[in-house]
Amino acid sequence: MKKEIVTFVINGQARDLIVSPNMTLAELLREQLDLTGAKKGCEIGECGSCTVLVDGKPTLSCSTLAIAVRDKAILTIEGLAQGTQLHPLQQAFIDHGAIQCGFCTPGAILTAKAMLDENPNPTRQDVKEALGGNLCRCTGYVKIIDAVMAVAEGMRQGGAK
Amino acid sequence: MSQELSVVGKRLPKWDASVKATGAAKYTSDLKLPGMLVGKILTSPHPHARIVRIDASEAEKLPGVKAVITFGDVPKTIFNPNKLGLILRHPEGEVKDMYVLSDKARFVGDRIAAVAAIDEATAEEALKLIEVEYEVMPAVFDAMKAMKPGAPKVHDFAENNIALHKQFPVSWGDVEKGFKEADCVVEENFRTARNHISQLEPCACVASLGPEGRLTIWSPSQHIFLHRRKIAEIFGMQEGMIKWVTPHIGGAFGKYGSLSLEPVTVALALKTGKPVKIAYSREQDLVGTELRQRYISSVKVGAKKDGTLTAVRENLIVDGGAYFSHNSSTTDVNMGSFVGLYRCPNVDAHADCVYTNLPVTGGVRGYGDSEATCVLEQTIDKAAKEMGMDPLEMRLKNVKKPGEPSQTGLPLETCSLEAIIKLGAERIGWKEKKQRPRQEGTKKRGIGMGIMMDVSGAQPFNLQIRNAFIKFNEDGSINLSTCIADMGQNLLGTMAQMAAEVLGLNYEDVHMVSGDTDSTMFDTGQHASGGCYQLGHAVIQAAEEARGQLFERAARKLGVGAAELSVKNRTVYVTSDPEKSIPIADVAKGATYNFEGEHLDISGKGSFSPTHNPPPFAAAFADVEVDVETGEVKIKKIVYVFDCGKAINPTTVEGQLQGGVVQAIGYALTEDYVVDTESGTLQSDNFNTYKLPSALDMPEIEVVIYEEAAPSGPFGARGVGHGTMIAVTPAILNAIYDATGIIVTEAPATPERILAALKKVV
Repeated sequence: MKKEIVTFVINGQARDLIVSPNMTLAELLREQLDLTGAKKGCEIGECGSCTVLVDGKPTLSCSTLAIAVRDKAILTIEGLAQGTQLHPLQQAFIDHGAIQCGFCTPGAILTAKAMLDENPNPTRQDVKEALGGNLCRCTGYVKIIDAVMAVAEGMRQGGAK
Repeated sequence: MSQELSVVGKRLPKWDASVKATGAAKYTSDLKLPGMLVGKILTSPHPHARIVRIDASEAEKLPGVKAVITFGDVPKTIFNPNKLGLILRHPEGEVKDMYVLSDKARFVGDRIAAVAAIDEATAEEALKLIEVEYEVMPAVFDAMKAMKPGAPKVHDFAENNIALHKQFPVSWGDVEKGFKEADCVVEENFRTARNHISQLEPCACVASLGPEGRLTIWSPSQHIFLHRRKIAEIFGMQEGMIKWVTPHIGGAFGKYGSLSLEPVTVALALKTGKPVKIAYSREQDLVGTELRQRYISSVKVGAKKDGTLTAVRENLIVDGGAYFSHNSSTTDVNMGSFVGLYRCPNVDAHADCVYTNLPVTGGVRGYGDSEATCVLEQTIDKAAKEMGMDPLEMRLKNVKKPGEPSQTGLPLETCSLEAIIKLGAERIGWKEKKQRPRQEGTKKRGIGMGIMMDVSGAQPFNLQIRNAFIKFNEDGSINLSTCIADMGQNLLGTMAQMAAEVLGLNYEDVHMVSGDTDSTMFDTGQHASGGCYQLGHAVIQAAEEARGQLFERAARKLGVGAAELSVKNRTVYVTSDPEKSIPIADVAKGATYNFEGEHLDISGKGSFSPTHNPPPFAAAFADVEVDVETGEVKIKKIVYVFDCGKAINPTTVEGQLQGGVVQAIGYALTEDYVVDTESGTLQSDNFNTYKLPSALDMPEIEVVIYEEAAPSGPFGARGVGHGTMIAVTPAILNAIYDATGIIVTEAPATPERILAALKKVV
C-alpha cells in the first residue's frame, strides 16, 4: 500500500509522519510516537480505551483512520498536563480513587474533559451518559463519576478550567 | 508506640495513580524492545479434530518470517497452566493435560501453530500459509452429554470425559437423616453462568533471550515465582536462568493465576533468539484465555419449621471445557463454600469434573465461592418461601457464631454476619419494601438478599509463603520490595501504608520494588484474597526489624536505650521525653556516611506463613424492577455491607466493593458467553456481544464498610477482593424471585430468559 508523508498536529506539535492509507490513529499514536496512553481494548469502538480528542471531540482512535485527522488538533492523555501541573480531571481521578488498573483511565479522562468543556454543570446522569462508551472493569464507575462531578464543582467555584 | 494510627486507615491516593492518570504507565501490551518480533498463534477452526498433517514450509519461506512452530517443535512436557500443583498440600487432583501447542484440536481456538515475524502483517500472512489437514471428529458441548456412554472423548485418558471425581473432604453428619428430620425439603437444579474476566487489557506477553543466555519474560502474573518454575519445567531450564517481570496489569481478577501466552511466546523467543511479543485481540482473549466454569448444580436443602437447617447437599457436574486447569481447586472452593456458609449438622457435596469441547476455564474472581453461594442462597429463598418465612429471618437463624468452623474448617475468630444482615436490612428498608405492592403496571418490584463468607488466603490447603524486604535510603525513605504486582486493587499502596505506620514515615516515603523475580524474594503469590492479610504480616515484620536497627543507632546518638524509643512523623524520639529526638533521615544518612567504622544498611526482612484464615463477611441487598412485557430487569439500588476487618485504606476498599458490585451485575444480568452448539464457535466474541455493564447500567450503589478487626489480621485487616461480588449476584437473583416468582436457574437473567420463564410461571 502506498505510504505518504502527512502532517499531524499532536499535543500542540506539528509532526510529519509516514502513514499508509489503512493505518488507524491508534496505530499511529502507539507505534510511531510511542503515545501508548491510547489503549487497544477491543478495536471495534466498544470499550473507549483508545479515546483521544480530535478538535476537542472524543474520538475512538482504533476506529479512525490516521489520514482522516490530518491537520486536526489531536490531544492525547500525554498532552493533557501542563508540564508537571496535572489537569484538574487527572488530579481528581487520583484523589477520588477513580483509578484502579488504569487501563481505561486515559480514555475516561479525555471523554470527561470533552464533556465538561461543553457542559460545565453536568448532573450525575449527564456524566453517566457521557461516559457510557468508556468501559471500566475495576471501579464500578462510582468514583469516576465522583471525580468528574468534583471537577465540575471546582470549576463553578472558580478553579482552573 | 502510640496506638493512634497515622497512615493506616487513611484515605490515600493509590500509589501508582499519577503514572496512570498521565498515560505514562506501561502495560505489557505497550512494551516495545529493539528488534522485537511479532508473534501470532494459529488456532483450530474445529471444536474437535485430529491433526493429520501440518505443512509450514510456505509460511517459513515468506520474507520476514523468523520462525514457525508446531507441536513437533515444542517440548513434550505435559503441564497444567495453573500454578496450584506446586503449592497444594494434596496436588494429586491437578490433572496435567496440555502442551505448549496442541497435538489435537479440542476446542475452536485451541493452539495449533505459531509464527514470529518482523511485523504484524507478515505474521498474519504467514498464518494463512500454514497448511493444516484436520480429520474432524464429533464434538460435545454440554457436560451432561459428555458423560454419556459413546460421547466423543476429549482426552483419551478420561473415561466418559470425567477428568476427576471429587468428594468434599470434610462432609459431616448424615444428610439423608437430616432430610428426614426436615419439615421442608426443597431441591433445585442450576446451570451457573460461564462468564469471562474480560479485563480491559487483552492478554499480552513479551519474551527475550539475553546474550548471557538468560530468558526474560514480561507478562502479567499473580505468581511470578510459581509461574517462572512452570516455564522452567516446561522448557527444561533452571529457574535462575529466567527473570520474570510484571509491568502494569490492565486488570487480573484471578486470570493471571494461570500461564496464558507465556509458553508459546517463550518457545518463539528461544527459537528465534529475538524478543517476541504476542498481544491478543479482544476476540482472541475471549476465546483463548480462561473463563469461569459452568457448574450444573443440584442443590437440596432441608429445614425445620422454624427455619433451622437440617441438611444441605450439592451435587456438581463441572463443565471445565477442553483442558483441566483450575477445575480441581475451584470445585473444592465451591463445595467448601456451599457446606460452610451456614450452621448445619448434615452436609455433603460431591462433584464430577468433566471435559467438553469448549474454551478452557480457570480462576475468576469469587473462584467457586461465587457460584456455590449463589445457588445456595437462591435455594434458601425458595425454602423460606415454601415455609412462609422471611428469608432474612431464615438466614439469621442459621448464621454461624465465633468458634464455629469457617468454610476452611478453621475456627471463626469473629463472625459479624448477624450484625451486617441487620445493618444492611435497615439501609435498604427491608421491612417496608417487603410490604409494598409488588405490581406497578407492567413492572413488578422485588427485593432480595444474599450473604457470604469468604477467605483471606488459601490456608490451610495451599503452601502460602509471603516475603517482604525493606531497606532505608540515605534520605530516610524506604524501598519496599515484594514479589507482587499491582493488579489495580492497590495492594502495594496498602502495604506501603502498613510499612509507613510501623516506621513512623509518610506514605510517600515508601518506594516500591515489585513484580520482578530478580529483585524480590520468593513468594507464593497473590490469590484467594490473601494479599492484605498475609503479605501485610510480612511487611510489618520487615518494618519492625528495620525499626529495631533504626532504634539501635538512634539510641547511641541520643544516649538512651533502644527500648526507650518511639517513632512518628519521620522522627525517632524518646517515648518519655519526646523533645529528645532525631530525624529518621539523619539516622539513615549517618548509618552509612560515617567514619565510626560502623556501616549499617538499615533493613529488615519479613517472612510469613499463615496459621489462620479469617473470613471477610458480607450481606448484599438488591431492589429490582422487572418489566413483565419486555423481560428487562432494572436494578434500582444495591446495598452491600462488607466486613473487611480494619480498612487499611477505606477509599481502596470502597473502590473494590463498587467494582465487585458492577461485576456481579454483569454476572447476574448481562454477560452471556455464548458458544454455538453446532460449530463450537464463540458467538459473544467482542464487547458488542459480550456485554460488560457500562456506566449507564449502574444502579444506585451504597457500599458500607463494616470494620470488625480480625484478631489475627495485620492491624486487624481481612481479605477483600473475591468477596466483592459473591453475595451480590444472589441478592439480585433473589430480588427477581421476589418480584416474579421466577427462580433464575440459568444466569445471566437476560430478557429472553425472563420472558421464557414468565410464560411457565403463568
